[in-house]
Formats: sequence, structure tokens, C-alpha cells
Amino acid sequence: MAQTRSSARSGSSGAGEARIGAGARVRGRIAGDGALTVEGHVEGDVALRGELTVAEGGEIHADTIEAEALVVSGVVEGELRVSGVVRAMAGSRVRGNVTGGASLALDDGAQFAGRIDAEFDLPAELLESSGGSPGRRR
Amino acid sequence: MASTVIGAGITIDGEITSDEDVVVQGTVRGKLTARDGVTVEPGAVVEADVSGGPLTVAGSITGNITSTDRVDLQPGAKVIGNVKAARITISDGAQFKGNVDMDV
Amino acid sequence: MNGDVATIGRGTVVRGRITGAANLEILGRVEGEVEVDGDVVLDARGLAAASLSGRRVTIRGAVRGDLVATESIVLEDGARVVGDVRAPRVAIATGALVRGYVQTGDAPAASSTARARPAASAATPRAANVSATASAPRTPPRAAPAPVPSPAARPAPSAPARPVATAIAGSHAAPSSNGSQASQPSQTERTPPRAPSAHAPVHAPAAAPKGPPPPVMPALKKGAKGAMSKKRA
Repeated sequence: MAQTRSSARSGSSGAGEARIGAGARVRGRIAGDGALTVEGHVEGDVALRGELTVAEGGEIHADTIEAEALVVSGVVEGELRVSGVVRAMAGSRVRGNVTGGASLALDDGAQFAGRIDAEFDLPAELLESSGGSPGRRR
Repeated sequence: MASTVIGAGITIDGEITSDEDVVVQGTVRGKLTARDGVTVEPGAVVEADVSGGPLTVAGSITGNITSTDRVDLQPGAKVIGNVKAARITISDGAQFKGNVDMDV
Repeated sequence: MNGDVATIGRGTVVRGRITGAANLEILGRVEGEVEVDGDVVLDARGLAAASLSGRRVTIRGAVRGDLVATESIVLEDGARVVGDVRAPRVAIATGALVRGYVQTGDAPAASSTARARPAASAATPRAANVSATASAPRTPPRAAPAPVPSPAARPAPSAPARPVATAIAGSHAAPSSNGSQASQPSQTERTPPRAPSAHAPVHAPAAAPKGPPPPVMPALKKGAKGAMSKKRA
């Protein structure tokens, strides 16, 4: 089992595809410009410019996880600062607030606990305080 | 046509306002206002003022009834309240206690 | 139940509380609270300024209120929800928009262990009394959802639906909390979804919920002091 302390940098080119294999344990911060697939264990913050994929069996325990998108089939814990989509697949376990404007997609069977603050407006009728006359809309 | 059906197992505590038909099979407590017909089916319990178009009552209403059309109390109906309607029919077997005002 | 479907038609507005052993389909608008034993379906054009609680809740329209289900909650593409979402199973389609706290029946246990330690030390003195009192009445409802401590439960406190109000009120009044706890398991099905999160007494104190805590648990957390003096009455 490879143990890596301190920071690890993933490939800098956009096409670079970095992977933390199933048998690897990383303790420390991971930063990178490309995409990253985690199949092993990561304990520490992750700051990616690309998409972060946590495969089944993979785990990330962090204070903060930053990525353009996050797809989880394994276990993820930490504040999810994601700008795109956070997708939790069936069998995944995700815990953490989703900040950064991401939208959340949960497959049936995913376990999730956290706040999400997507930016959108409710229809006007729901913005008014209750007690408004029902006939107003018609 | 789209209509509202308050099923037998449902209880609504509050106000119902509709611009379509309303059928009550369950329990309504509060107020019921419909622009179209209101049907209170056997077994239904309405403890509310009811206003609407044609009203057909086979269940129980405790409250004042106002109709822009006719009010039809069927056998088995039990109404306690005042009725204000252009026309009213009280079938044999219906129970009614209240005033009837047909001045429209 | 089963066959009973209640429909709130497109041109209908209901203001108040809807309860019952039936399924509910909302095509119009509901303001207030919905708490039924059956399934709740909010049509794509339906509007709810209300908490919705049922066995399986399917949202296709817009909701300003909390969603709680004993079985599952599904937010379909086009759904817009501002409020908390809690059920043993939650599915959110791409295209559904949510703003609030989302919690499924279970959550990663790892952090719970981490937090359990500091929590445990603080909680230990009362945990004994609390869990002792709590375990018996609480076990039956918990059995279904895995009693695994859900640390996620801690943030959960923010948005319990009204039905929980009694529990919350009870928890704030520490001395009475134990009494109210006993009655909580018998409360509506709403309890089970919260139960797993609320369950681990050990984590309760650590949770230090910002808002009203989930039923049962908060009684333990806040009532812990009361529980201690009450000596598992």
C-alpha cells in the first residue's frame, strides 16, 4: 500500500488524467488542473480544476473538496465546492454541504447528507406570502 | 374535466377554493368555495360553509350553504345550516335543519 | 387506504392541513401542511407552499416547504424545491433544482466516529442515563432504518417539519423531554426518517444543532441535563 504524505500534484495538462489507485492511501492535499479519479483512500483537501471521480471503493475524507464536477460511486466527505454537477451514484455515500453553485443529482440508492444551495427562483406564486387570494392568478 | 376529489381517507382542515368541480368523499373542516358544482358524497363529512354552483349532497354538511344554482339534498343527506339558493330539493330521507332563502 | 386517491385539481387552492390515509395528487395549489399515509405526487404545474409528508413523495412541480417521506422522495426533472428533503431514499434527477438540506436514510459513518470521540467525552456522563432511557422506547422505530449514527443528522436540525414541533418543544423543556420522548416513537411516520440521524445519543451533544433538532435526538441532547437529573425516569 503506497503511502504518500504532503502534497501531490496531478498532471497539469487539461487532457491529463490522474488516478489514485485502489491500493493507494494519500494523506495530504491534492491539487491539480486536470481530472482525477480516486480509487483508493484520500485524507486531505482536494483542489482540482477538472472533474473529480470517486470510484466504487474509493474514499475521500477532507475538509474541502474543490472540483469542476464531482461524480461519486464511493465515499466522499467534506465541503463540496463544485461549480458544475455533483452526482452521487447508487451505492455512494456523500456527506458535506454543496457550495460553489453546483446542482445535485442523486441516483436512487445513493446516500447523501448535506446542504445544497442551487441558484434558482420559485414560481412567483410561491414567492408571495401565503394568504394571497387564490383568484389572483386566474 | 379536471376536478378536485377529496378522497374518503382524506381530511382537510382549512379552506378549499376552486374554479372547477369539487367532490368530497372525505372530511373537510373550514371553508369550501367552488365556482362549479360541489358534490358531497355519502359518508363525507363537511363542517364548513359551502358555496358553489349546483350542490349535490348525500353526505353530511354542518355549515351554511350558498349556491348560485340549485341545492339537491339526496336521501341520506344530513344538513345543518342555512341554505341560500335559487332552487332546492330535499329528498325523502334527507335530514335538514336550517333556514332556506330562495331570494336570489 | 390504497385505492383512495385524493386530487386537488388544477383550479383548486387548499389552504390548511391535509391529512389522511390516502394517496394525494396535487395539480393545483396547496398552502399549509400535507401529511398523508399514502403517496404524494405534485404535478409539474402544481404548487406547494407547504410541508409535504407521505410514504413516497414525487415532486414534478415547485415546492416551498420541507419534504419528508417514510419510504422515498423523488425529485423529477423540472422540480424546484426550496426546503429540506429527508427520506430513507432520495433520488434527484439532473434538472431538478433544490435549495435546502438533503438527507437520505443513512450516511457515511466515518466522520461519526471522528466526532463521536469528542462528543462521547462530553456526553458520557449523560449518555448513560440518556441512552438507557432512550434505547428501549426508541429501538422499535429505529430497527427499520439502520441505526448507524448519521453524523449528517447533526446539520439536519435546521428544518424539521411542524409535526416535529411537539418533540422540539419537549426537548427545549429539558425536564419534560424524557416524557415526550417516550411518546415520540408513536408519532407519525415522520419519525423514522429522522430516527437514524437522531439515533446515536453519543453524537447528540456534539451535534449542537443550530436549529431545532430532530425529534427524539434533540430531546436527548437538550434534555440530557434534564435526563441526568431525572435519572431515567
